[in-house]
Amino acid sequence: MMEELRKVVNELLNELDGVVALRGSSEGVAPHLFRSGNDLSELVIVPKYPMASVLDLLQDADSDVRLGVVARGCDERALIELAKRQQVNLDNVRIIGIACSAEEAEECRCALPYPQNLMVGEKVQGVEDRLIAEHEALARQERLEFWKRQFAKCLKCYGCRNICPECFCEECVLEDELWAQTGVLPPPFPTFHILRAMHTVGKCVGCGECERTCPAGIPLTILYSLLRRDAKELFGYEAGASIEDRPPLVVTLDEVPIRG
Amino acid sequence: MTTDFEPRIIGFLCNWCSYAGADTAGISRFKYQPNVRIVRVMCSGRVSPELVLRAFREGADGVLVLGCHIGDCHYVSGNHRTAKRMPILRRILEYVGIEPERLRLDWVSSAEAPKFQQVVNEFTKTIRELGPARQVIQ
Amino acid sequence: MEYKNVLTTCVYCGAGCGLYLQVLDGKVVGVLPCKTHPISEGKLCVKGWNAHSFIYHEDRLIKPLIRADGGFREATWNEALDLIASKLTEVKEKHGPDAIGFLASAKCTNEDNYVLQKFARAVIGTNNVDHCARL
Repeated sequence: MMEELRKVVNELLNELDGVVALRGSSEGVAPHLFRSGNDLSELVIVPKYPMASVLDLLQDADSDVRLGVVARGCDERALIELAKRQQVNLDNVRIIGIACSAEEAEECRCALPYPQNLMVGEKVQGVEDRLIAEHEALARQERLEFWKRQFAKCLKCYGCRNICPECFCEECVLEDELWAQTGVLPPPFPTFHILRAMHTVGKCVGCGECERTCPAGIPLTILYSLLRRDAKELFGYEAGASIEDRPPLVVTLDEVPIRG
Repeated sequence: MTTDFEPRIIGFLCNWCSYAGADTAGISRFKYQPNVRIVRVMCSGRVSPELVLRAFREGADGVLVLGCHIGDCHYVSGNHRTAKRMPILRRILEYVGIEPERLRLDWVSSAEAPKFQQVVNEFTKTIRELGPARQVIQ
Repeated sequence: MEYKNVLTTCVYCGAGCGLYLQVLDGKVVGVLPCKTHPISEGKLCVKGWNAHSFIYHEDRLIKPLIRADGGFREATWNEALDLIASKLTEVKEKHGPDAIGFLASAKCTNEDNYVLQKFARAVIGTNNVDHCARL
């Protein structure tokens, strides 16, 4: 699969200004802008990083640059959601879609481990998130104890917010003294965390990077997955499914009504 | 459950409908529970999740959000946002183990004084039965 | 356009988390955690996430300054260093090396703090070195 991917990227580098992909070297693995003539043997796909944010960054610097991006399903969905909010211009982006392996889908508890623009790799079946079912089975008091224990570990590093491909606000509510006081640790339970969760609604594409970068190991994806399910149940909305879908919380009930 | 507990409820009422409705209830001398501290906003659409959560953080045992009926919003579709946000916020409260009944969204027009009275009395009773939230929510 | 991630070690604290400085056209624009780093494993604390923010900060001193007339005036490196050396020597000779205290800071880089304590101990000859985290 990697040979095929490198071949595809190599060909596309003839028509694009660059391709954003992961570079593996003695310095580890990180996103990189490959140019024509670069050593593509360094192009790798694990461990995964959120690629959509890099696209956003590069397009901010030069809105006309034509870029390709090696994207998993979640990367593509993140790009679509960013494009919806005018943060990324998809006209200048060539999505080089790669499929996740069955092991990767299992690890991410991912329902859609492949992008629509799939170019390399075989699609595998999505996985149902069993942690949601386990969470729903808990009694209310158990849930309270669980999240109290989890969020007591929070360092307020803002890692979850920083790594999230959808968080692009220049002024974040979580840094506003009105809603989230400075100098308070751990952050107030549960209002701080509920606030972050609310802001993921209609945006979260389930990449799981928030949980992976949390130094305290808080299982954030349980909460955000539940909200993704709610967005589907209440508004029929799936983040990243189509650029035509309008974000449900922003539009009127005539455009996106409440179901059920 | 101690009977000394007096619920502290913050009510966000929209200027054009629900606040006027509360006014009408007052003028008509309707009796209702005194536990709701009313904050007048121009539209229920202004009531963001930040505002609701801040109310809880400051010690509210319950938060009541009242707006115009759908279709009657003075700003046309402001209450559409409220209609969508509040159910989601209630769900998150439930997921982290807080009773979603502590947050209530309802529609009260300027003429619906009896409805205002009913909603306030009902909600106060609900919160009284649920007990204080102050120890649980920060 | 050139974009790359440069691996480095966080300058704050002794943990030594690995992080990438995102470099776009020669300028550092952000930080990414290093997922393959044995210590940090793709996680960072709030200081690590903001390790780059002092680089181009508007408050950053870019010229030596000397106190004068209730404020500061710009000076050359030589003038500033000569002044510091002469004043410290004066105090050291008159009152001894322990008359001088050195205060390091968790807001400075590890490298800055290392140099400061080395200067205190090896050059001035005192162990009166402390750190804001100890206060």
